[in-house]
Amino acid sequence: MIQNKLSFHQSSASLEIIGLPDYSNNEKKDQISIISQWKLTIVDKPLIEGKIEHLGPIMDAFYIYSNLLIKNEIPIYESKLIDIKADNLYIHNIVLKSSKPNVKPLVLKIGNSLLSDTINCFDQLNESSKVSIKKIYIPTNIPKKLRFGLNKKVKFFNSFIPPFIAICSLILFSSYFIYFYSPFENIEKKELINPK
Amino acid sequence: MRKSYVTNNIKLNEFDALIRITVEMSKYLYPYIREILKSKEDIEENSVIWNDFNKRFIELIKERLNIDTMRVKKLLNQAENDEIIIKSLLILSFCSSNQGYKKLKNFLYDF
Repeated sequence: MIQNKLSFHQSSASLEIIGLPDYSNNEKKDQISIISQWKLTIVDKPLIEGKIEHLGPIMDAFYIYSNLLIKNEIPIYESKLIDIKADNLYIHNIVLKSSKPNVKPLVLKIGNSLLSDTINCFDQLNESSKVSIKKIYIPTNIPKKLRFGLNKKVKFFNSFIPPFIAICSLILFSSYFIYFYSPFENIEKKELINPK
Repeated sequence: MRKSYVTNNIKLNEFDALIRITVEMSKYLYPYIREILKSKEDIEENSVIWNDFNKRFIELIKERLNIDTMRVKKLLNQAENDEIIIKSLLILSFCSSNQGYKKLKNFLYDF
């Protein structure tokens, strides 16, 4: 049986998905539901390929890592299959561990441009109607409760801090005037100058 | 932060519209955003792109933002603004997909 092949391209990265449609689900000929193989090609880097059970965790790793990178948190992601950490602000170190014994892990160094290309390829796969895979966990979806909680906290501090600073500055400013004007000292001085 | 004497609070639908415009622009400008990011990776070879972008960025800030505020001063400081610029470019590049609107909105709520 001829397998279907779908490719998603973004500048220097391309993702290829090979598989078959699920005819028992009345799917069309050009759809892919049973993924047999996938390949991620990044220009000037070794080919990354694997089984369907590896694709989900790798996509998750990239999404979680990119999220950590943006949120000013320590950008490190570690799992049994893949490790990603930032060498610096521009270079990311990816370690892909093989599930087969006695196979050395594959180490890749990619820049921000290649990282965004790869994430865009994964986005295209997620959005594609022709490939049905389990929807990948997108970590940017914050629960609503937490989101509103954060907003409330910010609003509370925003409304509390300006009057607090104003009161503090008033106290500090007015405390200086104590040293500038002392009516009792002035009366004493006048008496010394004009002793009548 | 803007050079304006009027402080208007943005409405929710205006905020949504701005996000949609930003996402559409980032889709359109993705190749340029990518090149700017790439130029910073190997600054010795492609320093021209990064320097041009940085120069224009600073020009626009001076033109449109209130440079007396601390936040804007931080953006103008070339030693400190690299990280801010790169992270902003990365956010734009990650949001240049059809789900970009949802992603960018969540990124902004999380800031």
